[in-house]
Amino acid sequence: MRRTLAIASNTLTDLTRQRVFYFILIFALILIGSSVFMSRFSFQQELQILKDISLGTMSILTSLLAILATARLIPQDIEDRTAYTILAKPVPRYQYVLGKLLGVLGLLVISLFIMSALFFAMLYTREQTLLSEAMRQYATAPREQLEDALRTVRAAGLKIDIAQAIGLLFMKASVLAATTLLVTTFATTNIFTVITMVFVYFIGHLQEIAREYWLQQTGNGWFTHLFLALVALIFPDLQAFNRVDQVVAGHALSLGIFTQTTLLGCFYIAVYTTLAVVMFYGKEL
Amino acid sequence: MTAEPAVAVRGLTKRFPVPFTRRLISAVEDVDLTVNRGEVYGLLGPNGSGKSTTLKIILGLVWPTSGSAKIFGRDSGEVHSRDSVGFLPENPYFYKFLTGTETLRFFGKLCGLHGEQLHQRIIDLLDLVGLTNAREQRLATYSKGMLQRIGLAQALINDPQLVVLDEPTAGVDPAGSRDIRDLIVDLRKRGVTVLLSSHLLGQVQEVCDRVGILANGKLVREGKLEELLAIENQTELVLENASEDLVKRVQELARDANARLVAQRRSTTTLERFFLDATDE
Repeated sequence: MRRTLAIASNTLTDLTRQRVFYFILIFALILIGSSVFMSRFSFQQELQILKDISLGTMSILTSLLAILATARLIPQDIEDRTAYTILAKPVPRYQYVLGKLLGVLGLLVISLFIMSALFFAMLYTREQTLLSEAMRQYATAPREQLEDALRTVRAAGLKIDIAQAIGLLFMKASVLAATTLLVTTFATTNIFTVITMVFVYFIGHLQEIAREYWLQQTGNGWFTHLFLALVALIFPDLQAFNRVDQVVAGHALSLGIFTQTTLLGCFYIAVYTTLAVVMFYGKEL
Repeated sequence: MTAEPAVAVRGLTKRFPVPFTRRLISAVEDVDLTVNRGEVYGLLGPNGSGKSTTLKIILGLVWPTSGSAKIFGRDSGEVHSRDSVGFLPENPYFYKFLTGTETLRFFGKLCGLHGEQLHQRIIDLLDLVGLTNAREQRLATYSKGMLQRIGLAQALINDPQLVVLDEPTAGVDPAGSRDIRDLIVDLRKRGVTVLLSSHLLGQVQEVCDRVGILANGKLVREGKLEELLAIENQTELVLENASEDLVKRVQELARDANARLVAQRRSTTTLERFFLDATDE
Protein backbone atom coordinates (compact mmCIF):
# COMPACT_ATOMS: atom_id res chain seq x y z
CA MET A 1 0.00 0.00 0.00
CA ARG A 2 2.92 2.33 0.80
CA ARG A 3 4.23 1.88 -2.74
CA THR A 4 0.83 2.68 -4.25
CA LEU A 5 0.57 5.79 -2.09
CA ALA A 6 4.11 6.85 -3.04
CA ILE A 7 3.19 6.59 -6.74
CA ALA A 8 -0.16 8.34 -6.13
CA SER A 9 1.45 11.19 -4.25
CA ASN A 10 4.14 11.53 -6.93
CA THR A 11 1.50 11.54 -9.68
CA LEU A 12 -0.49 14.19 -7.84
CA THR A 13 2.63 16.35 -7.42
CA ASP A 14 3.39 15.89 -11.12
CA LEU A 15 -0.12 16.91 -12.16
CA THR A 16 -0.34 19.90 -9.84
CA ARG A 17 2.94 21.20 -11.27
CA GLN A 18 1.58 20.90 -14.81
CA ARG A 19 -0.54 24.04 -14.35
CA VAL A 20 -3.75 22.04 -14.61
CA PHE A 21 -5.30 24.44 -12.14
CA TYR A 22 -5.80 26.87 -15.00
CA PHE A 23 -9.03 24.91 -15.36
CA ILE A 24 -10.12 26.37 -12.05
CA LEU A 25 -9.23 29.84 -13.23
CA ILE A 26 -11.53 29.30 -16.22
CA PHE A 27 -14.26 28.21 -13.80
CA ALA A 28 -13.78 31.29 -11.64
CA LEU A 29 -13.95 33.53 -14.71
CA ILE A 30 -17.16 31.87 -15.92
CA LEU A 31 -18.62 32.19 -12.44
CA ILE A 32 -17.77 35.88 -12.19
CA GLY A 33 -18.76 36.54 -15.82
CA SER A 34 -22.16 34.90 -15.39
CA SER A 35 -22.98 37.08 -12.38
CA VAL A 36 -22.92 40.14 -14.63
CA PHE A 37 -26.14 39.00 -16.34
CA MET A 38 -27.91 37.86 -13.18
CA SER A 39 -29.61 41.09 -12.27
CA ARG A 40 -32.00 40.70 -15.22
CA PHE A 41 -33.70 37.67 -13.68
CA SER A 42 -36.04 37.00 -10.79
CA PHE A 43 -34.66 35.84 -7.40
CA GLN A 44 -35.38 32.18 -8.09
CA GLN A 45 -34.16 32.30 -11.70
CA GLU A 46 -30.95 34.01 -10.70
CA LEU A 47 -29.95 31.32 -8.22
CA GLN A 48 -31.07 28.54 -10.57
CA ILE A 49 -29.00 29.95 -13.43
CA LEU A 50 -26.01 30.38 -11.15
CA LYS A 51 -26.32 26.72 -10.10
CA ASP A 52 -26.91 25.60 -13.66
CA ILE A 53 -23.89 27.41 -15.08
CA SER A 54 -21.60 26.50 -12.17
CA LEU A 55 -22.50 22.81 -11.97
CA GLY A 56 -22.50 22.49 -15.78
CA THR A 57 -19.05 24.07 -15.97
CA MET A 58 -17.80 21.92 -13.12
CA SER A 59 -19.08 18.82 -14.90
CA ILE A 60 -17.34 19.66 -18.18
CA LEU A 61 -14.10 20.83 -16.57
CA THR A 62 -13.72 17.83 -14.26
CA SER A 63 -14.48 15.45 -17.15
CA LEU A 64 -11.90 17.20 -19.32
CA LEU A 65 -9.40 17.24 -16.47
CA ALA A 66 -9.93 13.53 -15.81
CA ILE A 67 -9.35 12.62 -19.47
CA LEU A 68 -6.48 14.98 -20.24
CA ALA A 69 -4.58 14.41 -16.99
CA THR A 70 -4.85 10.60 -17.21
CA ALA A 71 -4.11 10.35 -20.95
CA ARG A 72 -0.44 11.26 -20.59
CA LEU A 73 0.50 9.49 -17.36
CA ILE A 74 1.52 5.97 -18.37
CA PRO A 75 2.57 6.73 -22.00
CA GLN A 76 4.79 9.56 -20.76
CA ASP A 77 6.43 7.32 -18.16
CA ILE A 78 7.11 4.70 -20.81
CA GLU A 79 8.42 7.21 -23.33
CA ASP A 80 10.74 8.78 -20.76
CA ARG A 81 11.75 5.33 -19.46
CA THR A 82 10.74 6.38 -15.94
CA ALA A 83 8.46 3.35 -15.96
CA TYR A 84 11.53 1.11 -16.40
CA THR A 85 13.15 2.52 -13.29
CA ILE A 86 9.95 2.22 -11.27
CA LEU A 87 9.00 -1.27 -12.42
CA ALA A 88 12.59 -2.52 -12.04
CA LYS A 89 11.98 -2.00 -8.31
CA PRO A 90 9.87 -4.57 -6.48
CA VAL A 91 6.66 -2.80 -7.55
CA PRO A 92 3.82 -5.00 -8.82
CA ARG A 93 2.24 -3.56 -11.94
CA TYR A 94 -1.19 -3.34 -10.33
CA GLN A 95 0.23 -1.03 -7.67
CA TYR A 96 1.71 1.17 -10.36
CA VAL A 97 -1.63 1.44 -12.22
CA LEU A 98 -3.57 1.99 -8.99
CA GLY A 99 -1.09 4.63 -7.84
CA LYS A 100 -1.52 6.52 -11.10
CA LEU A 101 -5.32 6.39 -10.81
CA LEU A 102 -5.30 7.48 -7.18
CA GLY A 103 -3.09 10.43 -8.11
CA VAL A 104 -5.63 11.58 -10.70
CA LEU A 105 -8.50 11.06 -8.25
CA GLY A 106 -6.61 13.19 -5.75
CA LEU A 107 -6.34 15.92 -8.36
CA LEU A 108 -10.08 15.68 -9.07
CA VAL A 109 -10.89 15.93 -5.36
CA ILE A 110 -8.72 19.03 -4.95
CA SER A 111 -10.08 20.66 -8.13
CA LEU A 112 -13.70 19.95 -7.22
CA PHE A 113 -13.08 21.12 -3.68
CA ILE A 114 -11.71 24.49 -4.84
CA MET A 115 -14.44 24.91 -7.48
CA SER A 116 -17.13 23.94 -4.95
CA ALA A 117 -15.74 26.39 -2.39
CA LEU A 118 -15.85 29.19 -4.98
CA PHE A 119 -19.34 28.16 -6.08
CA PHE A 120 -20.71 27.82 -2.54
CA ALA A 121 -19.25 31.18 -1.55
CA MET A 122 -20.83 32.79 -4.60
CA LEU A 123 -24.17 31.05 -4.09
CA TYR A 124 -24.27 31.86 -0.38
CA THR A 125 -23.39 35.50 -1.01
CA ARG A 126 -26.05 35.83 -3.71
CA GLU A 127 -28.60 34.07 -1.53
CA GLN A 128 -27.95 36.45 1.37
CA THR A 129 -28.10 39.46 -0.97
CA LEU A 130 -31.36 38.26 -2.49
CA LEU A 131 -32.85 37.62 0.95
CA SER A 132 -32.01 41.21 1.93
CA GLU A 133 -33.43 42.49 -1.34
CA ALA A 134 -36.61 40.46 -0.85
CA MET A 135 -37.03 41.83 2.65
CA ARG A 136 -36.56 45.34 1.32
CA GLN A 137 -38.94 44.84 -1.62
CA TYR A 138 -41.64 43.17 0.48
CA ALA A 139 -41.18 45.37 3.53
CA THR A 140 -44.60 46.92 3.07
CA ALA A 141 -46.28 43.78 1.62
CA PRO A 142 -48.35 41.33 3.71
CA ARG A 143 -46.32 38.98 5.87
CA GLU A 144 -47.33 35.89 3.82
CA GLN A 145 -45.94 37.43 0.61
CA LEU A 146 -42.63 38.21 2.31
CA GLU A 147 -42.35 34.69 3.73
CA ASP A 148 -43.26 33.27 0.36
CA ALA A 149 -40.50 35.30 -1.32
CA LEU A 150 -37.95 34.30 1.32
CA ARG A 151 -38.97 30.65 1.02
CA THR A 152 -38.54 30.83 -2.76
CA VAL A 153 -35.01 32.25 -2.41
CA ARG A 154 -34.03 29.72 0.24
CA ALA A 155 -35.41 26.82 -1.83
CA ALA A 156 -33.27 27.84 -4.75
CA GLY A 157 -30.21 28.52 -2.56
CA LEU A 158 -27.51 26.43 -0.94
CA LYS A 159 -28.76 22.92 -0.09
CA ILE A 160 -27.27 19.51 0.63
CA ASP A 161 -28.51 18.24 -2.74
CA ILE A 162 -25.88 20.40 -4.44
CA ALA A 163 -23.09 18.65 -2.53
CA GLN A 164 -24.59 15.31 -3.56
CA ALA A 165 -24.72 16.39 -7.21
CA ILE A 166 -21.05 17.44 -6.96
CA GLY A 167 -20.26 14.06 -5.40
CA LEU A 168 -21.79 12.42 -8.46
CA LEU A 169 -19.77 14.69 -10.75
CA PHE A 170 -16.69 13.37 -8.99
CA MET A 171 -17.85 9.80 -9.57
CA LYS A 172 -18.41 10.54 -13.26
CA ALA A 173 -14.96 12.11 -13.63
CA SER A 174 -13.43 9.14 -11.77
CA VAL A 175 -15.14 6.70 -14.14
CA LEU A 176 -13.74 8.70 -17.06
CA ALA A 177 -10.26 8.64 -15.47
CA ALA A 178 -10.41 4.85 -15.03
CA THR A 179 -11.63 4.41 -18.62
CA THR A 180 -8.87 6.69 -19.91
CA LEU A 181 -6.32 4.67 -17.94
CA LEU A 182 -7.60 1.52 -19.65
CA VAL A 183 -7.32 3.14 -23.10
CA THR A 184 -3.74 4.28 -22.40
CA THR A 185 -2.68 0.69 -21.77
CA PHE A 186 -3.20 -0.15 -25.44
CA ALA A 187 -3.14 3.26 -27.15
CA THR A 188 -0.03 4.12 -29.09
CA THR A 189 -0.34 7.90 -28.88
CA ASN A 190 -1.91 10.48 -26.58
CA ILE A 191 -4.04 11.85 -29.40
CA PHE A 192 -5.54 8.37 -29.96
CA THR A 193 -6.42 8.19 -26.26
CA VAL A 194 -8.04 11.63 -26.23
CA ILE A 195 -10.05 11.01 -29.41
CA THR A 196 -11.19 7.61 -28.12
CA MET A 197 -12.23 9.21 -24.86
CA VAL A 198 -14.21 11.92 -26.66
CA PHE A 199 -16.18 9.08 -28.30
CA VAL A 200 -16.54 7.30 -24.96
CA TYR A 201 -17.79 10.54 -23.42
CA PHE A 202 -20.51 11.09 -26.02
CA ILE A 203 -21.51 7.45 -26.40
CA GLY A 204 -21.49 7.13 -22.58
CA HIS A 205 -24.18 9.79 -22.40
CA LEU A 206 -26.29 7.82 -24.88
CA GLN A 207 -25.61 4.44 -23.30
CA GLU A 208 -28.86 4.52 -21.34
CA ILE A 209 -30.91 4.80 -24.57
CA ALA A 210 -28.94 2.02 -26.25
CA ARG A 211 -29.34 -0.20 -23.19
CA GLU A 212 -33.10 0.33 -23.07
CA TYR A 213 -33.49 -0.50 -26.78
CA TRP A 214 -31.31 -3.56 -26.34
CA LEU A 215 -33.27 -4.80 -23.33
CA GLN A 216 -36.61 -4.19 -25.05
CA GLN A 217 -35.65 -6.86 -27.63
CA THR A 218 -37.76 -5.19 -30.29
CA GLY A 219 -37.70 -6.57 -33.81
CA ASN A 220 -34.41 -5.05 -34.85
CA GLY A 221 -31.97 -6.94 -37.02
CA TRP A 222 -29.19 -8.98 -35.40
CA PHE A 223 -26.59 -6.35 -36.34
CA THR A 224 -28.51 -3.56 -34.60
CA HIS A 225 -29.09 -5.83 -31.63
CA LEU A 226 -25.38 -6.68 -31.43
CA PHE A 227 -24.39 -3.02 -31.79
CA LEU A 228 -26.75 -1.96 -29.01
CA ALA A 229 -25.52 -4.80 -26.81
CA LEU A 230 -21.91 -3.73 -27.32
CA VAL A 231 -22.68 -0.09 -26.50
CA ALA A 232 -24.66 -1.14 -23.43
CA LEU A 233 -22.01 -3.55 -22.17
CA ILE A 234 -18.76 -1.79 -23.05
CA PHE A 235 -19.50 1.87 -22.36
CA PRO A 236 -20.26 3.37 -18.96
CA ASP A 237 -23.65 4.98 -18.44
CA LEU A 238 -22.42 8.53 -17.89
CA GLN A 239 -25.90 10.00 -18.00
CA ALA A 240 -26.66 8.26 -14.69
CA PHE A 241 -24.28 10.69 -12.96
CA ASN A 242 -25.89 13.80 -14.40
CA ARG A 243 -28.17 14.89 -11.59
CA VAL A 244 -27.37 18.55 -12.06
CA ASP A 245 -30.62 19.41 -13.88
CA GLN A 246 -32.65 17.73 -11.16
CA VAL A 247 -30.86 19.68 -8.43
CA VAL A 248 -31.05 22.98 -10.36
CA ALA A 249 -34.78 22.49 -10.81
CA GLY A 250 -35.01 22.21 -7.03
CA HIS A 251 -35.98 18.53 -6.94
CA ALA A 252 -34.54 16.63 -4.02
CA LEU A 253 -31.90 13.99 -4.73
CA SER A 254 -32.90 11.02 -2.62
CA LEU A 255 -30.26 9.24 -0.59
CA GLY A 256 -31.24 6.00 -2.32
CA ILE A 257 -30.53 7.39 -5.81
CA PHE A 258 -27.31 8.98 -4.58
CA THR A 259 -26.07 5.74 -2.99
CA GLN A 260 -27.14 3.66 -5.97
CA THR A 261 -25.35 5.96 -8.44
CA THR A 262 -22.25 6.09 -6.25
CA LEU A 263 -22.17 2.29 -6.17
CA LEU A 264 -22.61 2.20 -9.95
CA GLY A 265 -19.62 4.55 -10.24
CA CYS A 266 -17.54 2.33 -7.94
CA PHE A 267 -18.52 -0.69 -10.03
CA TYR A 268 -17.43 1.01 -13.27
CA ILE A 269 -14.16 2.20 -11.71
CA ALA A 270 -13.43 -1.31 -10.39
CA VAL A 271 -14.17 -2.94 -13.77
CA TYR A 272 -12.19 -0.47 -15.92
CA THR A 273 -9.26 -0.39 -13.48
CA THR A 274 -9.13 -4.19 -13.35
CA LEU A 275 -9.12 -4.30 -17.15
CA ALA A 276 -6.38 -1.64 -17.21
CA VAL A 277 -4.29 -3.71 -14.79
CA VAL A 278 -4.79 -6.88 -16.88
CA MET A 279 -3.81 -5.02 -20.05
CA PHE A 280 -0.79 -3.45 -18.38
CA TYR A 281 0.42 -6.84 -17.12
CA GLY A 282 0.56 -7.99 -20.73
CA LYS A 283 2.37 -4.87 -21.88
CA GLU A 284 6.04 -5.15 -22.73
CA LEU A 285 8.06 -2.05 -21.94
CA MET B 1 19.63 -21.09 -2.25
CA THR B 2 23.00 -19.45 -1.52
CA ALA B 3 24.61 -21.46 -4.33
CA GLU B 4 22.32 -19.84 -6.91
CA PRO B 5 24.14 -17.44 -9.23
CA ALA B 6 23.13 -13.78 -9.20
CA VAL B 7 21.77 -14.08 -12.73
CA ALA B 8 21.10 -17.27 -14.66
CA VAL B 9 19.80 -17.00 -18.20
CA ARG B 10 18.98 -20.25 -19.98
CA GLY B 11 17.94 -20.73 -23.61
CA LEU B 12 16.60 -17.19 -23.70
CA THR B 13 14.82 -16.23 -26.90
CA LYS B 14 12.81 -13.12 -27.56
CA ARG B 15 10.95 -12.45 -30.80
CA PHE B 16 8.91 -9.33 -31.42
CA PRO B 17 5.99 -9.32 -33.85
CA VAL B 18 6.23 -6.97 -36.80
CA PRO B 19 3.06 -4.84 -36.83
CA PHE B 20 0.49 -5.68 -39.54
CA THR B 21 2.39 -8.80 -40.64
CA ARG B 22 2.78 -12.32 -39.36
CA ARG B 23 6.53 -11.96 -39.23
CA LEU B 24 8.58 -12.04 -36.06
CA ILE B 25 11.88 -10.29 -35.49
CA SER B 26 14.34 -12.11 -33.29
CA ALA B 27 16.01 -9.79 -30.77
CA VAL B 28 17.62 -12.49 -28.62
CA GLU B 29 18.22 -16.07 -29.74
CA ASP B 30 18.92 -18.96 -27.41
CA VAL B 31 21.20 -17.09 -25.02
CA ASP B 32 22.76 -18.79 -22.01
CA LEU B 33 24.69 -16.71 -19.54
CA THR B 34 25.56 -16.80 -15.87
CA VAL B 35 26.60 -13.92 -13.66
CA ASN B 36 28.19 -15.25 -10.50
CA ARG B 37 27.74 -13.59 -7.14
CA GLY B 38 30.21 -10.82 -6.44
CA GLU B 39 31.58 -10.46 -9.96
CA VAL B 40 31.40 -7.61 -12.44
CA TYR B 41 30.00 -8.95 -15.71
CA GLY B 42 30.09 -6.91 -18.89
CA LEU B 43 27.51 -7.51 -21.59
CA LEU B 44 29.01 -6.19 -24.79
CA GLY B 45 27.72 -5.80 -28.25
CA PRO B 46 27.00 -3.30 -30.99
CA ASN B 47 23.74 -1.35 -31.14
CA GLY B 48 20.79 -3.66 -31.78
CA SER B 49 22.66 -6.76 -30.65
CA GLY B 50 20.07 -7.58 -27.96
CA LYS B 51 21.82 -6.21 -24.86
CA SER B 52 18.96 -4.00 -23.68
CA THR B 53 16.33 -6.65 -24.45
CA THR B 54 18.30 -9.20 -22.42
CA LEU B 55 18.56 -6.75 -19.50
CA LYS B 56 14.85 -5.93 -19.75
CA ILE B 57 13.96 -9.62 -19.58
CA ILE B 58 16.24 -10.06 -16.57
CA LEU B 59 14.44 -7.15 -14.89
CA GLY B 60 10.97 -8.46 -15.73
CA LEU B 61 10.09 -5.56 -18.05
CA VAL B 62 9.75 -7.81 -21.09
CA TRP B 63 8.65 -11.44 -21.20
CA PRO B 64 10.81 -14.09 -22.92
CA THR B 65 9.36 -15.94 -25.91
CA SER B 66 11.10 -19.03 -24.59
CA GLY B 67 13.78 -19.87 -22.05
CA SER B 68 14.18 -18.37 -18.62
CA ALA B 69 15.95 -15.67 -16.66
CA LYS B 70 16.50 -15.98 -12.94
CA ILE B 71 17.80 -13.59 -10.32
CA PHE B 72 19.23 -15.29 -7.23
CA GLY B 73 17.20 -18.35 -8.19
CA ARG B 74 13.87 -16.54 -8.61
CA ASP B 75 12.16 -16.21 -11.96
CA SER B 76 12.58 -12.67 -13.25
CA GLY B 77 8.81 -12.49 -13.82
CA GLU B 78 8.29 -12.53 -10.04
CA VAL B 79 8.15 -9.12 -8.41
CA HIS B 80 10.22 -10.32 -5.45
CA SER B 81 13.09 -11.32 -7.73
CA ARG B 82 13.82 -7.56 -7.78
CA ASP B 83 13.86 -7.13 -3.99
CA SER B 84 17.62 -6.81 -4.02
CA VAL B 85 18.21 -5.36 -7.46
CA GLY B 86 19.21 -1.85 -8.47
CA PHE B 87 18.83 -0.68 -12.06
CA LEU B 88 20.18 2.31 -13.93
CA PRO B 89 18.66 2.57 -17.42
CA GLU B 90 20.48 4.05 -20.38
CA ASN B 91 20.13 7.86 -20.45
CA PRO B 92 17.95 7.86 -17.33
CA TYR B 93 15.14 10.36 -17.18
CA PHE B 94 13.51 11.05 -13.88
CA TYR B 95 10.67 13.32 -12.82
CA LYS B 96 12.05 16.79 -13.51
CA PHE B 97 9.80 18.41 -10.95
CA LEU B 98 11.41 16.51 -8.06
CA THR B 99 14.58 17.55 -6.26
CA GLY B 100 17.48 15.11 -5.76
CA THR B 101 16.30 14.32 -2.23
CA GLU B 102 12.66 13.87 -3.33
CA THR B 103 13.74 11.56 -6.16
CA LEU B 104 15.65 9.29 -3.78
CA ARG B 105 12.80 9.40 -1.26
CA PHE B 106 10.33 8.34 -3.97
CA PHE B 107 12.46 5.43 -5.15
CA GLY B 108 13.26 4.50 -1.54
CA LYS B 109 9.55 4.24 -0.75
CA LEU B 110 9.08 2.03 -3.81
CA CYS B 111 11.67 -0.30 -2.26
CA GLY B 112 9.74 -0.38 1.01
CA LEU B 113 12.07 1.97 2.91
CA HIS B 114 10.73 4.68 5.18
CA GLY B 115 11.43 6.78 8.23
CA GLU B 116 14.89 7.36 9.63
CA GLN B 117 16.39 4.45 7.69
CA LEU B 118 15.37 6.05 4.39
CA HIS B 119 16.43 9.51 5.53
CA GLN B 120 19.92 8.31 6.46
CA ARG B 121 20.24 6.28 3.27
CA ILE B 122 19.41 9.37 1.19
CA ILE B 123 22.07 11.43 2.98
CA ASP B 124 24.68 8.68 2.52
CA LEU B 125 23.92 8.17 -1.17
CA LEU B 126 23.88 11.89 -2.01
CA ASP B 127 27.28 12.06 -0.37
CA LEU B 128 28.49 8.96 -2.23
CA VAL B 129 27.56 10.34 -5.65
CA GLY B 130 28.68 13.88 -4.81
CA LEU B 131 25.30 15.56 -5.03
CA THR B 132 24.92 16.77 -1.44
CA ASN B 133 25.12 20.41 -2.50
CA ALA B 134 22.55 19.90 -5.28
CA ARG B 135 20.14 17.88 -3.14
CA GLU B 136 17.44 20.56 -3.04
CA GLN B 137 17.75 21.48 -6.72
CA ARG B 138 15.06 20.26 -9.10
CA LEU B 139 16.26 17.62 -11.55
CA ALA B 140 15.27 19.96 -14.39
CA THR B 141 18.40 21.96 -13.52
CA TYR B 142 20.74 18.92 -13.36
CA SER B 143 23.39 18.33 -16.00
CA LYS B 144 23.58 14.98 -17.80
CA GLY B 145 26.37 13.83 -15.52
CA MET B 146 24.38 14.81 -12.42
CA LEU B 147 21.34 12.92 -13.74
CA GLN B 148 23.52 9.86 -14.24
CA ARG B 149 24.78 10.18 -10.67
CA ILE B 150 21.30 10.57 -9.17
CA GLY B 151 20.39 7.57 -11.33
CA LEU B 152 23.16 5.58 -9.72
CA ALA B 153 22.05 6.72 -6.28
CA GLN B 154 18.48 5.53 -6.90
CA ALA B 155 19.84 2.23 -8.18
CA LEU B 156 21.65 1.78 -4.84
CA ILE B 157 18.84 3.07 -2.59
CA ASN B 158 17.83 -0.40 -1.38
CA ASP B 159 21.43 -1.52 -0.81
CA PRO B 160 21.06 -4.11 -3.60
CA GLN B 161 23.02 -7.31 -4.04
CA LEU B 162 22.78 -7.03 -7.82
CA VAL B 163 23.21 -3.78 -9.72
CA VAL B 164 22.27 -3.67 -13.39
CA LEU B 165 23.74 -0.76 -15.32
CA ASP B 166 22.73 -0.10 -18.92
CA GLU B 167 25.40 2.05 -20.59
CA PRO B 168 26.28 3.73 -17.27
CA THR B 169 28.79 6.19 -18.72
CA ALA B 170 26.86 7.19 -21.84
CA GLY B 171 27.19 10.95 -22.27
CA VAL B 172 29.25 11.41 -19.09
CA ASP B 173 32.55 13.35 -19.15
CA PRO B 174 35.83 11.55 -18.34
CA ALA B 175 35.86 12.63 -14.69
CA GLY B 176 32.26 11.45 -14.17
CA SER B 177 33.06 8.30 -16.07
CA ARG B 178 36.01 7.61 -13.76
CA ASP B 179 33.79 8.17 -10.71
CA ILE B 180 31.31 5.61 -12.03
CA ARG B 181 34.13 3.15 -12.71
CA ASP B 182 35.50 3.68 -9.18
CA LEU B 183 32.00 3.12 -7.80
CA ILE B 184 31.71 -0.16 -9.70
CA VAL B 185 35.07 -1.27 -8.30
CA ASP B 186 33.91 -0.27 -4.83
CA LEU B 187 30.68 -2.25 -5.26
CA ARG B 188 32.69 -5.32 -6.21
CA LYS B 189 34.85 -4.90 -3.09
CA ARG B 190 31.67 -4.89 -1.02
CA GLY B 191 30.57 -8.15 -2.65
CA VAL B 192 27.84 -6.60 -4.82
CA THR B 193 27.31 -8.22 -8.20
CA VAL B 194 27.35 -5.83 -11.14
CA LEU B 195 25.92 -6.57 -14.57
CA LEU B 196 26.68 -3.80 -17.00
CA SER B 197 26.08 -3.34 -20.67
CA SER B 198 28.32 -1.08 -22.65
CA HIS B 199 30.02 -0.63 -25.95
CA LEU B 200 32.90 1.34 -24.44
CA LEU B 201 35.31 -1.54 -24.51
CA GLY B 202 38.17 0.21 -22.68
CA GLN B 203 36.02 0.79 -19.64
CA VAL B 204 34.65 -2.71 -19.62
CA GLN B 205 38.17 -4.05 -19.80
CA GLU B 206 39.12 -2.02 -16.72
CA VAL B 207 36.34 -3.16 -14.41
CA CYS B 208 34.88 -6.45 -15.61
CA ASP B 209 35.84 -9.89 -14.36
CA ARG B 210 33.99 -11.63 -17.16
CA VAL B 211 32.32 -10.53 -20.35
CA GLY B 212 29.75 -11.87 -22.77
CA ILE B 213 29.61 -10.59 -26.34
CA LEU B 214 26.26 -10.43 -28.07
CA ALA B 215 25.95 -10.12 -31.84
CA ASN B 216 22.67 -10.33 -33.73
CA GLY B 217 20.94 -11.56 -30.59
CA LYS B 218 23.35 -14.44 -30.02
CA LEU B 219 26.00 -14.79 -27.36
CA VAL B 220 29.06 -15.32 -29.52
CA ARG B 221 31.76 -15.28 -26.82
CA GLU B 222 31.81 -15.48 -23.05
CA GLY B 223 34.51 -15.87 -20.45
CA LYS B 224 37.10 -14.34 -18.14
CA LEU B 225 38.58 -11.22 -19.60
CA GLU B 226 42.24 -12.27 -19.24
CA GLU B 227 41.50 -15.61 -20.89
CA LEU B 228 39.59 -14.08 -23.78
CA LEU B 229 42.20 -11.41 -24.42
CA ALA B 230 45.37 -13.45 -23.84
CA ILE B 231 47.48 -14.16 -26.92
CA GLU B 232 48.68 -17.66 -26.20
CA ASN B 233 52.17 -17.46 -27.68
CA GLN B 234 53.13 -13.94 -26.61
CA THR B 235 54.52 -12.53 -23.33
CA GLU B 236 54.80 -8.85 -22.39
CA LEU B 237 57.65 -7.38 -20.33
CA VAL B 238 57.46 -3.85 -19.02
CA LEU B 239 60.79 -2.58 -17.71
CA GLU B 240 61.41 0.52 -15.68
CA ASN B 241 64.77 2.34 -15.66
CA ALA B 242 66.19 -0.13 -18.21
CA SER B 243 69.42 1.02 -19.82
CA GLU B 244 69.93 0.70 -23.59
CA ASP B 245 72.47 -1.99 -22.85
CA LEU B 246 69.95 -4.02 -20.87
CA VAL B 247 67.38 -3.71 -23.66
CA LYS B 248 69.99 -4.93 -26.19
CA ARG B 249 70.84 -7.94 -24.00
CA VAL B 250 67.17 -8.86 -23.67
CA GLN B 251 66.82 -8.67 -27.46
CA GLU B 252 69.88 -10.91 -27.89
CA LEU B 253 68.57 -13.41 -25.37
CA ALA B 254 65.29 -13.56 -27.23
CA ARG B 255 67.05 -14.08 -30.55
CA ASP B 256 69.26 -16.82 -29.07
CA ALA B 257 66.15 -18.65 -27.83
CA ASN B 258 64.52 -18.45 -31.28
CA ALA B 259 61.85 -16.03 -30.04
CA ARG B 260 60.70 -13.11 -32.20
CA LEU B 261 60.52 -9.62 -30.73
CA VAL B 262 57.12 -8.48 -31.91
CA ALA B 263 57.12 -4.91 -30.55
CA GLN B 264 59.28 -2.57 -28.56
CA ARG B 265 57.99 0.86 -27.63
CA ARG B 266 58.06 3.48 -24.92
CA SER B 267 55.22 3.00 -22.43
CA THR B 268 52.51 5.63 -22.62
CA THR B 269 49.78 6.67 -20.24
CA THR B 270 46.13 6.44 -21.27
CA LEU B 271 44.42 9.43 -22.85
CA GLU B 272 41.96 9.36 -19.96
CA ARG B 273 44.74 9.56 -17.36
CA PHE B 274 46.42 12.32 -19.36
CA PHE B 275 43.13 14.24 -19.60
CA LEU B 276 42.41 13.89 -15.91
CA ASP B 277 45.92 15.03 -14.95
CA ALA B 278 45.65 17.98 -17.31
CA THR B 279 42.29 19.03 -15.90
CA ASP B 280 43.57 18.32 -12.37
CA GLU B 281 40.69 16.04 -11.43
